[in-house]
Amino acid sequence: MRRQLVRLALIPLLASHAGAQSLAQQVRSANGTVQVIYPSRPNVCGDGQGSISNVVGRAQFSFNDGSSSFGTPGRFRPCEHGPARLVLTVLGGEVTRARVYVGAVPPRRGDVRVVNATASDAEAWLTETVEHGNARAASDLLLPLILVEGSEPWKFFLKLARDENRPAEVKRTVMMWLSNAVSEHLGILDDAARSDEDEMRDQAVFVLSQRPKAEGVPALIDVARTSSHPSARKTALYWLGQSGDPRAVDVYAELLGLR
Amino acid sequence: MRMIIVALAALAGFAPTVASQPSGIARRVDAVRDGSVSMRFASVPGVCGDGAGSTWTRNGSSDSWRGCITGPVHVVIGRADNATVSVRTTIGDSRRSSDNDLGIVSAPDAARYLLELAHSLGGRNASEAVSAAALADSANLSSEFVSLVQDASVAVDTRQQALFWLGQTRIPTSDLSRLYEGLKPVGLREHFVFVMSQRRDETAIDKLIDIASHDADRDIRKNAMYWLGQTNNPRAVKFLRDLVTR
Repeated sequence: MRRQLVRLALIPLLASHAGAQSLAQQVRSANGTVQVIYPSRPNVCGDGQGSISNVVGRAQFSFNDGSSSFGTPGRFRPCEHGPARLVLTVLGGEVTRARVYVGAVPPRRGDVRVVNATASDAEAWLTETVEHGNARAASDLLLPLILVEGSEPWKFFLKLARDENRPAEVKRTVMMWLSNAVSEHLGILDDAARSDEDEMRDQAVFVLSQRPKAEGVPALIDVARTSSHPSARKTALYWLGQSGDPRAVDVYAELLGLR
Repeated sequence: MRMIIVALAALAGFAPTVASQPSGIARRVDAVRDGSVSMRFASVPGVCGDGAGSTWTRNGSSDSWRGCITGPVHVVIGRADNATVSVRTTIGDSRRSSDNDLGIVSAPDAARYLLELAHSLGGRNASEAVSAAALADSANLSSEFVSLVQDASVAVDTRQQALFWLGQTRIPTSDLSRLYEGLKPVGLREHFVFVMSQRRDETAIDKLIDIASHDADRDIRKNAMYWLGQTNNPRAVKFLRDLVTR
């Protein structure tokens, strides 16, 4: 009986693994551009071009011509929920560039291969590629991984953040997303009610982050853990992550409840 | 060798008090209708230059930098139609000459004359006049600097320069602190915060904390916080920490 239960439990895992393998094979076999389309988180929306909102909380991610930015929604743009569309450039079986879009899917171009994937296949393949792919692809694929419907990537992100061999650029991006995940978890991400005094506190936190590490990091940890001002706490979490100090990951894990 | 670049073109600045009688230097310069007038005067110990307008102060005992020549401050004033139209300052230039060479003049007299002149000049000329005065081996020029800082008819960048050099004088920090309320241009108030942060005494910390806490301009408050964070003063750091944890 127990053996049967174990077997039953393994079936979805094996199926997911097989699906991810198939997705991996399809991506690898493409040479040039391939689009992977998969279900996105329920709240996330985008304009189908360079802007995605509600990635974590109400945080917005946008990019144009290779530069990207992260922030809270600013100007009004149409924001529609829809599948995530991951556009990959594949050379010699390796992903060399990735961009992700959410919202209306444009008409298919004849020369671009399209792969429709389930959320679990997408999550498994993205996790695998981030973990073992090249640094550039790893950086590009963090957001697509977060966007997967039902994904809970934070434990994996903590693992990436603790990986001493991971390039600093990837770790900085990982820590940026983690800081937002922590803020969302603590219910302090949304700063719609941010006051002038919050702005001053944020500046004070930034100034503390510029102090020598031996002094600045403990100060940021203290603010992140105990401040009664949500905005200051959120800012401390962000700068703590950008400090490059390993204690930051432990604080994130503790606050996320993921040891 | 430790050397600190004195940002002549961007930072110096002072203003002499308005003299009831023109100084000897002023009379001699004003006597020239068109052409140039030059003068030399003793420079502050430790100052050197490349003869082309760049000037440095030496912070330490080493004097091994060959490109930097010590010597008097050399000022050449351009005149056209009975008005001063240019001021150029060098150290380490022994070749420059002019139509009218006043020779070696008293450094305090020259500094006061140049700071007075700066009230009526603009742009680079004002900057060069202020720089020359700042480099003079002179008596305390704080009242001349204060006059220039407070002169609303003078360009803000010249007033900023004057404020910078005022901060380098022996003016008590409490006196410097009192200037703030009278400064209207935002650029000047921002610069004041930096100048105050270079004082590093408790009075300066008090003033910066006061600005960071109460100034009407949020950007200036942020600026004050930034410089407080750079002071290494425990009270400054405590202020910042209290602000975000209280």
